[in-house]
Amino acid sequence: MRTRWLRWLLVPLLVVPVGWLLFTGLGHDPRLIPSPLVGKPMPAFAGTTLAGGQFSSAELAGKPAIVNFWASYCIPSCVDEHPVLLDLAARHVGELQMVGVLVNDTTDGARAFLARYGQVSWPNLLNADGGVSIDYGVTGPPETFFVNSQGIVVARHVGPLTAAVVAEELAALGIEP
Amino acid sequence: MRRLALPVAIAALLALGGVVLLELVRPAAAPTQAQQAQQLARELRCPDCQALSVAESQTAAAANIRRQIVEQLDAGRTPEQVRAYFVARYGDWILLVPTSPFVWWVPVVAILVGVGVFAWWWRRGGVAVASALPAPGPGLREQVRDEVERLDV
Amino acid sequence: MIPTLGHLAVVIGLAATVYAAGAFILGGRSGDAAVLASARRAMYAAFALVAFACFAMVVSLLSHDFSVLYVARNNATTTPPFYSVISLWAALEGSILFWTLLASGWASLVLYRYRARLPALMPWVGATLALGTAFFFAVMAWPSDPFVRVTPIGLEGNGPNALLQNHPFMGLHPPLLYLGYTGMAIPFAFGMAALITRRTDEEWLAVVRRWTLVPWIFLTAGIVAGAWWSYAVLGWGGYWAWDPVENAALLPWLTATAFIHSSMVAERRGTLRTWTHALVIATFVLTLVGTFLTRSGVVNSVHAFTTSGIGAWFASAILVTLGVALALLVWRLPDLRDRRPPGAVVSRESAFVFNNVLFLGVTFAILFGTLYPVLVEATTGAKASVGAPWFNRVNAPIFVALLFLTGVGPALPWGGASWATVRERFAVPILSGVGVVVAAWALGVRDAAPLGIFGLATFVLVVMGDEVVRGAHSRARSRGETAPLAVLRLATRNRRRYGGYLAHVGICVMAVAIAVSATLGIDRTATLAEGETLSIGPYTLTYDKLVTEPLASDPRVIETRAELTLAGPQSGHMATALRDYPNSATAIATPVVRTALGEDLYVTLLGYNPDARTATLRIFINPLVMWIWTGGAIVAFGALFAIWPDRRRTAVAAAVAGA
Repeated sequence: MRTRWLRWLLVPLLVVPVGWLLFTGLGHDPRLIPSPLVGKPMPAFAGTTLAGGQFSSAELAGKPAIVNFWASYCIPSCVDEHPVLLDLAARHVGELQMVGVLVNDTTDGARAFLARYGQVSWPNLLNADGGVSIDYGVTGPPETFFVNSQGIVVARHVGPLTAAVVAEELAALGIEP
Repeated sequence: MRRLALPVAIAALLALGGVVLLELVRPAAAPTQAQQAQQLARELRCPDCQALSVAESQTAAAANIRRQIVEQLDAGRTPEQVRAYFVARYGDWILLVPTSPFVWWVPVVAILVGVGVFAWWWRRGGVAVASALPAPGPGLREQVRDEVERLDV
Repeated sequence: MIPTLGHLAVVIGLAATVYAAGAFILGGRSGDAAVLASARRAMYAAFALVAFACFAMVVSLLSHDFSVLYVARNNATTTPPFYSVISLWAALEGSILFWTLLASGWASLVLYRYRARLPALMPWVGATLALGTAFFFAVMAWPSDPFVRVTPIGLEGNGPNALLQNHPFMGLHPPLLYLGYTGMAIPFAFGMAALITRRTDEEWLAVVRRWTLVPWIFLTAGIVAGAWWSYAVLGWGGYWAWDPVENAALLPWLTATAFIHSSMVAERRGTLRTWTHALVIATFVLTLVGTFLTRSGVVNSVHAFTTSGIGAWFASAILVTLGVALALLVWRLPDLRDRRPPGAVVSRESAFVFNNVLFLGVTFAILFGTLYPVLVEATTGAKASVGAPWFNRVNAPIFVALLFLTGVGPALPWGGASWATVRERFAVPILSGVGVVVAAWALGVRDAAPLGIFGLATFVLVVMGDEVVRGAHSRARSRGETAPLAVLRLATRNRRRYGGYLAHVGICVMAVAIAVSATLGIDRTATLAEGETLSIGPYTLTYDKLVTEPLASDPRVIETRAELTLAGPQSGHMATALRDYPNSATAIATPVVRTALGEDLYVTLLGYNPDARTATLRIFINPLVMWIWTGGAIVAFGALFAIWPDRRRTAVAAAVAGA
């Protein structure tokens, strides 16, 4: 029969798409979710800080900023990135502003965490009702947003910050790492 | 009497179907705000858990989103506006039902194709029925099989 | 020492299975009995070796040997012995070890049972099973070695995943599921052997039907036990979340169920033979896809093991299996032609064909929904989610149509039905269904889902009841037996048919329970102070006090529980807790469930305030939930009844074989 060989096409017709799907699927991490905020103005926030003061995102205007979402129960990721944040703050005094936002955490827990792993110089918002987490579309701590001097979100990093990630994002903000 | 049994059954079925249809056509009472909130919560993904909706999850993040849904509906926003609010922050990922109509059509088309293939097979009278014989010659195997078949039916 | 021996056993096991595969192929070509016997013995040896490796792992876990990375990651000195033992399958490497044990166990069982039967098929069955087992040994020898050692040796380990040490069900659900998954290699091996040797007649079908039903029973039980685990452990009041890994277990179950039905058509009518073969292949490939989804990190899931490098291994295995099996099928297509034309449109086989189209449709829909996020990301780079609302809306109509066919199929004769038959068989069932819907409406049920399912289930049950009554009646009359005896004899003499009916009864029970529990439940969340009372449905619940203390069985775990007093149809004291595990970021809910025939009362502690002593509770009244598990048990029991060896039928089979 002339067309008998055609049935052999069935094999590649099934195997090739399945293989493509499986192997491209392997190349993606389902936990990395792109943020729709990138390229848009940072959502504004204001509220009480861990130190008991008030903080508003309006204070960040004019300089590049880092908004870091964290929690004391987030172990080991938040512990791992803590020295990176401390180092970052120490090296870029005056040219980079930082603010921490707690995610579903208790005041006591957060204070104990800082006492144990190192006090920080930047304000930490209590975010008691989780409103800031929702505004930034946070899936879980730690998550960090990089904002340029015009107040536009340029990047989001999900998971613990590393020196390499920070260097790359700072370059995008126009800061010498 | 027995002749009438099936027509009566079908008539009853049709009557029931008619009642159901009338129920469906009759404009339903507008959903209460609590129902709208519940419906929205079922369609939004819990951000810090896996495969569960905000309605089902017990995490604090899910509770915060549930509360925001209620607050925004209270403030007079429509369910579409509330949904758009979360999509603007989390992306399409937050929706448990993708917006693309494609996801609805694919399964329907797949089943129609399946029915079509079998209808074709049926009309053709089987795929290349082995020779023209209705069945292989009557061997002992066939006889025993038919015997078993008769016992079983 | 012991872990080293375990590793050695894995390596020798790999060699044994590779040898067995080669020897089976050589023996299959030459027919040399001595070579085949040595191949069989190599497979028994592989089973013994992997059993020893599992033993070595269990000993390492029980003795908290933290020099083994797997033990350090999944065990702690305070882990209770029971959870130490079941940690064998609680994480990636151990689960593959356990999987290999079951796979080689099934292979040895089949090779032993058929050592003197089906001489033409068995070498190729053996070769397929040996290659499959060799793959898992190779995974353990290279990317996922369970016996990797660490230095320096820690004094304390991480402890098992908190979710897995919170409920003894973890000891039951994975083994059942794995027995089902691994067992599906057997029908696949017979299918491959039949294609290779061109023995695609009824002989292989009978064997494959039986050997599909055996793992199918385990898969059914495993899926239902998994739903029960999710209900009892996760604390969200539901049992099925359309999680990718739940779906992965359902997919091979659906195609295997389709096969169980289509193989009857192939056997009785000599049609659908290519299709039936394709279903055997699809079922096995889908078990591999399930393993891939669980272990590759491609999808997010509660069940997903930590991301690992073995994804590429499984993806390659899927492609090779699919490619080879399809090529064999295409090569043998001329052998698989229909033996006679399909029957009339109104006939039992047409009901079965529709059944198969719908089973495959629902399989495709679930596979598509599960992989849709991967598909979207691969094509557009965007992230998408597909969740319960989509799966419910798409699948519910298909499952309802399948339930309808459950009633239609048995009522129609093979070949074709006359109008008189249709009238006789359907009038009463339809009227009964309509009657039940009207009655349920009159009793106050207003939701469409339960009403529709009540009507359909009644229709199906009356069709089957009518069958049984007619059969028993004619038997009682012709043999002078009493009615109960006639029913019993009828069932035990036609195990396949009546086992199938029993399974369908179980499906009806499940369908009703699912429809009712999904729509007629009540769910409330409330924050109470100590001593406060709350009313829900017919119950009053008093929150007595909040207690925080270490768990007796594992003092590293801190339990905070709300003690409650329940009054109403069920009463007594109970407690619902949140447990803080040292290795878990969030507290693990430990819901309390009070089960009665009609409904479950289900209470989860969502949170508490240690200063104000308040507790936030979520209370569910879930109607008929225990009937979902009961229905599942009836389904499994029906299948067991159907395959139970029957002396008379064995005699007939012997006569056939002797012919």
